[in-house]
Amino acid sequence: MTTMTTIPLDTADHELLRQTHAGRADAFTALYRRHQGPLYRYALMRCGSPEMAADVVQEAFMGLLTQRFGFDPLRGQLQHFLFGVVRNLILKLEEGRRRQVALPEPDEDGELDLDVACEGAEPLARLLGVEAAEEVRRALALLPPHYRDVVILFELHELSYQEIATVCQVDIGTVRSRLSRGRAALAKRLQALAPACT
Amino acid sequence: MDMNPKDMHDSPDARLDAALTALRGELAGIDTPRCVEKELLQAFHQQFKPKRRWYQALSLPQWGTAGALCSLTAVALLLAQSPHQAVSVSSQPLVSFDNGGAFVALDSLERIEAEPDARLVEAEVPRSALAPLGVTVSPDNAADTVRAEMLVAADGHPLAVRLSSTN
Repeated sequence: MTTMTTIPLDTADHELLRQTHAGRADAFTALYRRHQGPLYRYALMRCGSPEMAADVVQEAFMGLLTQRFGFDPLRGQLQHFLFGVVRNLILKLEEGRRRQVALPEPDEDGELDLDVACEGAEPLARLLGVEAAEEVRRALALLPPHYRDVVILFELHELSYQEIATVCQVDIGTVRSRLSRGRAALAKRLQALAPACT
Repeated sequence: MDMNPKDMHDSPDARLDAALTALRGELAGIDTPRCVEKELLQAFHQQFKPKRRWYQALSLPQWGTAGALCSLTAVALLLAQSPHQAVSVSSQPLVSFDNGGAFVALDSLERIEAEPDARLVEAEVPRSALAPLGVTVSPDNAADTVRAEMLVAADGHPLAVRLSSTN
């Protein structure tokens, strides 16, 4: 971005947002740079495609810019709000894709055939070089989306149960159970992957 | 208050935690592609185009045309007013000579006509002193005196002078 950021680094999100809507490009830049990384990483892990993740992050910030998504500072942090926006956008995209391609349905525990290929895995594999990281990433990609959301937000972004509940619009009990089941499924898959890797 | 689920899990699967830690480390260096920021900024500038001031709305040729029109209007106004002023000056001269006498208006004719309580003061004035008022002075008559009648306003302001025998 060509505009120099002159805004103090500790400026609150809601203030940056207010200045953005008042037409200050440096405020928008600061806001974007502050939040793009976590949002992109979440989207990347969630959908597995760098291109789709980039599109989703862009759309989330466009919505913020045009005030298509009404953010209320009294109802939580901007980053959590943006996580929710990104999640909804991914769900919408997945819904569109599901209409075109019939995907295998997971069972109640989210058990899926480990041989199922994950769309977009190849580009992401190029981004992740370390073997262990790649293994867990592949296992994560095979989790049902509602488990994947909770595991990514908790394990990779260190959100609390309450924050995850807000992002995913479920109650805390559901977050607990999904996290527990998601971790168990991940551990099981890593176990299954281990002999194949050695 | 939330409990830390890692404490609750007390996961037997250390492999999972190690793998998640490795994934966190790998992801830490990954950011949104730069083109996204660029496109967002373009969208921002599109949305917040600087408002043009009224004088920026006209192009240079339009400003030239407007200037020419103004100049033409100004010239037309001047031409329309000039004949009227010329007539008023010529019909009401400030200095007139008749029958060897001279009338010199020291103020505007409107002011003289509007003065309600003017009075007349008579005096004998050396002809040479009247030269600045336009009275002809020659070496032969420079020493002569002229009879002057001065019209004075109520406040003492001189309004006009009538001179007799200025020849």
